Amino acid sequence: MSDAPQDSRWSIDEAELARLTKEARQFKGESLWSDAWRRLRRNRAAFLALLFLAAFAGISLLAPFLPLPSPKAISLRDEPGTPEWVWSVPAAPTKAPDRGAATTRATRNLWNDGWRHRSTIILGAQDEAAAEAARARVQEVSSRGAVVEVYPAAEGEGLQAYASVPMTEGDAPQVDYGPTGIAGTASCWEVLTPGDPEPTGAVHSLRLTGADGAAFDVGQVAGWSVEARGASIRLFLSRAEPLPGLGDWVVAYRLSTELDALPTAVLLNGSLLPGSAAVSWGGEPSGAQTVDAELLEGVEAMDLGRRVAASLAASPIDGVTYMETRHEDGYWEFKGLVGAMDRALRRARIATFGLWQTGNWMGTDGQGRDLLARIVWGSRTSIIVGIIASLCSLLIGVLYGAFSGYMGGRIDNLMMRIVDVLYSIPFIFVVIFLITVVNEYRTELEDQFGIDREKIFFLVIGAIYWLTMARVVRGQVLSLKNTEFIEAARVIGASTTRILLSHVVPNVLSIVIVYLTLTIPAVMLFEAFLSFLGLGIEPPKVSWGLLAVDGTQAINPIKIYWWLVVFPAGAMGSTLLALNILGDGLRDALDPKLRGKN
Amino acid sequence: MLRFLARRFLWFVITISTVMTVSFFLMHSVKGGPFDGERKLDPVIEANIKARYHLDWPLWRQYLQYVGPFNLDDQRALAAFDEEGGFSLWRSEDAAGEPTRAFGGVLTGDFGPSFRYKDFTVNDILEESLPISALLGVLSMMFAIALGVSAGIASALRPGSGLDLTLRIAATGGIALPNFVIASFLVILFVFLIPLLPVAGWGTIQHMLLPGFCLGLVFAAYIARLTRTGMLETLSADYIRTAHAKGLAPRTVVMRHALKGGLLPVVSYLGPATAGILTGSLVIEKIFFIPGTGSHFINAATNRDYTLAMGVTILFTVLVYTLNTVVDMAYTLLDPRITLEDE
Repeated sequence: MSDAPQDSRWSIDEAELARLTKEARQFKGESLWSDAWRRLRRNRAAFLALLFLAAFAGISLLAPFLPLPSPKAISLRDEPGTPEWVWSVPAAPTKAPDRGAATTRATRNLWNDGWRHRSTIILGAQDEAAAEAARARVQEVSSRGAVVEVYPAAEGEGLQAYASVPMTEGDAPQVDYGPTGIAGTASCWEVLTPGDPEPTGAVHSLRLTGADGAAFDVGQVAGWSVEARGASIRLFLSRAEPLPGLGDWVVAYRLSTELDALPTAVLLNGSLLPGSAAVSWGGEPSGAQTVDAELLEGVEAMDLGRRVAASLAASPIDGVTYMETRHEDGYWEFKGLVGAMDRALRRARIATFGLWQTGNWMGTDGQGRDLLARIVWGSRTSIIVGIIASLCSLLIGVLYGAFSGYMGGRIDNLMMRIVDVLYSIPFIFVVIFLITVVNEYRTELEDQFGIDREKIFFLVIGAIYWLTMARVVRGQVLSLKNTEFIEAARVIGASTTRILLSHVVPNVLSIVIVYLTLTIPAVMLFEAFLSFLGLGIEPPKVSWGLLAVDGTQAINPIKIYWWLVVFPAGAMGSTLLALNILGDGLRDALDPKLRGKN
Repeated sequence: MLRFLARRFLWFVITISTVMTVSFFLMHSVKGGPFDGERKLDPVIEANIKARYHLDWPLWRQYLQYVGPFNLDDQRALAAFDEEGGFSLWRSEDAAGEPTRAFGGVLTGDFGPSFRYKDFTVNDILEESLPISALLGVLSMMFAIALGVSAGIASALRPGSGLDLTLRIAATGGIALPNFVIASFLVILFVFLIPLLPVAGWGTIQHMLLPGFCLGLVFAAYIARLTRTGMLETLSADYIRTAHAKGLAPRTVVMRHALKGGLLPVVSYLGPATAGILTGSLVIEKIFFIPGTGSHFINAATNRDYTLAMGVTILFTVLVYTLNTVVDMAYTLLDPRITLEDE
């Protein structure tokens, strides 16, 4: 009797239990991220910044698709062109350049700022009708829309027709070097004359035999040329009898010690090749060495010029002769996935816009390159620098900070003291010093490890921007380690992996993302700073830093090229501003306790 | 306090010796050396140059000579051998009759000869250029503090007003834009459109205004932000309400009571700001053609004048480290709640 009230207080009937269970199932806790997203959306400035950045990232990603002039093709203008708000360029040049007026046959076609990144096939034509027929043939062979410009021929009667199509991959002549099965050794030595410290030349003696043991026939070789890059030597041997589709032979080998002198004489299986200096055996040989060498054969791809020539040979058009093909490469090729995407985007551009492109909406720079295109393509470099260097700093900072916070105690103390010390070094001076020293090793690094200046740049920037990240992550890990919800998770019996993945990582991640957003603008500023000093990205590549430098250099009392200052500064300033605002907004959204604190 | 200073000094020694050692060995590991040009030098001349800069010595000896404190070259006073191989513990002049030195190297403040400016030591160059950079730095720091603090107070007094919003946007813009872009805008404005100031050079006060302002602007923006948050926090404190309640004039409350607490974050920012101004001076000195240490450093770095570049790096590291320590000490004097032993 006395137990009944107690029982009734604690007992639940079946229906009630079912209702409660259902309710508990329906109750959905708001995750950290959806909460933060809601708060970010309410922050109008930060949300606008996010939209702006997304738009900008889209433009920069889609750069090859946009109908912009080429960012790197130089024209013969000697002064920056003013912005022109035209929507289309005339399909045919309004005025042909005067003959001999600072133009040559090779550059004459460049005067028109209209088209870049095109393949131009130059044909001799009897009259306008023949030129039009040639244009149609080029269009048919390339299966792209072609246009033709007609000029009087340089000498003699008739016309010259310049038929242009948008350039795609495979248009330019390309030679792939493949194995031939012929290999052997290369012996190299320098020739010194007594009394002269400088070697007078070097002799490279090749011994090449085929797979069947027969010596390579020297009569097949008409001449040679050399391309030396440090210790790597590429010796090009031209064929005595040219074969269609096959280019030069190349013999590639790597010297064990670098020689000061370039080869002046090449011996092939004991006989001197044509074009070699007479070997004076009176000199003193030095640096003699023998290394393995291999003969490679160049296979030439069927480029556009050859295809047009072949088509004209198969079915000739009256009064049309094939002369030559020129390619104006308008873009920077990226490697890997980005490169594949760029090629697809360029095909899409050709399909959509053909040869149509915008005018110089933001003017041109001192070398006649379109500023808008340079800003768009420069944003790629700047964004890549910003993101990769920030990720680099993220990796170092998070590992260092997490380890320090996790270990605690004396190790933590020591590690953080090291960070304090590094904080007090004026790092830029050390970095500039490092970059100049590393620059001395550029060719070696590039040849042996494939590390170019940009990669060094990423590493160096990443290596100095990790300090704040390490501090922040360490603090977060340290405070998380002893929080109640982690303790609660442990009491419930969650495994260490689960605690780490579902409790520690998301909480650290939020603050990491905030600092990442704030590191990217800092890194972009640093890139601009180093480019300004001539130590960052190098021309002909383009970045916003370089554009800003161009702008400052264009200031002079005679004429103010305001567009060279205003547009790059505007692009850079608005992006950095947006990143800063987004970073602040993210911090407020992810960690409301920090609101309003710097 | 003493313990704090001793610990700081210990870390200082570790830092400086690391910077010095790493940069020394990096610089000497570079193949080709600073004297390699387009043309190969005569071997005799080359040997003479190498002897002058002690490049013919083993690396460890060059390092000891560079660091000091003992002078190791032919003019040394301590433990020298004369021509006949006789050993003397101390001599006042060398075989040629020149006076000798016992000490030398970075530890005695001697950065050695410059590789590029013949007949100049690094010390000569620093003596000439450091006052210019220091003047520019102090000027821009004054600009930054005056502008930043007044803007910060103005926006903290009326949070949310139009003035506050304008100042905050200006501050974010100042942080976001690189100083050379701001400098080029200002040059267009004040030199070409409104011809008030000279375009470049150094010497008169007109020459200093534009560079000082451009250099200080970023830091003014940061200081304005810090002052604003600091002041907002202090203005809502109880003791400010008390001061208002006892009838003090608003000006007195702000200037006497609130400012002291509100400026604390600014004081802690002065250390990083000094480092930033040194960094920024690289660019500003290059734009305005100011013959300061920064432009010498850039020239040295691009011309492979390693001793000069190293000298500037070491000097600035010492400078920034010392200033940081001073700022930390000043902080404890201003805010008794913080003690140095906590670190």
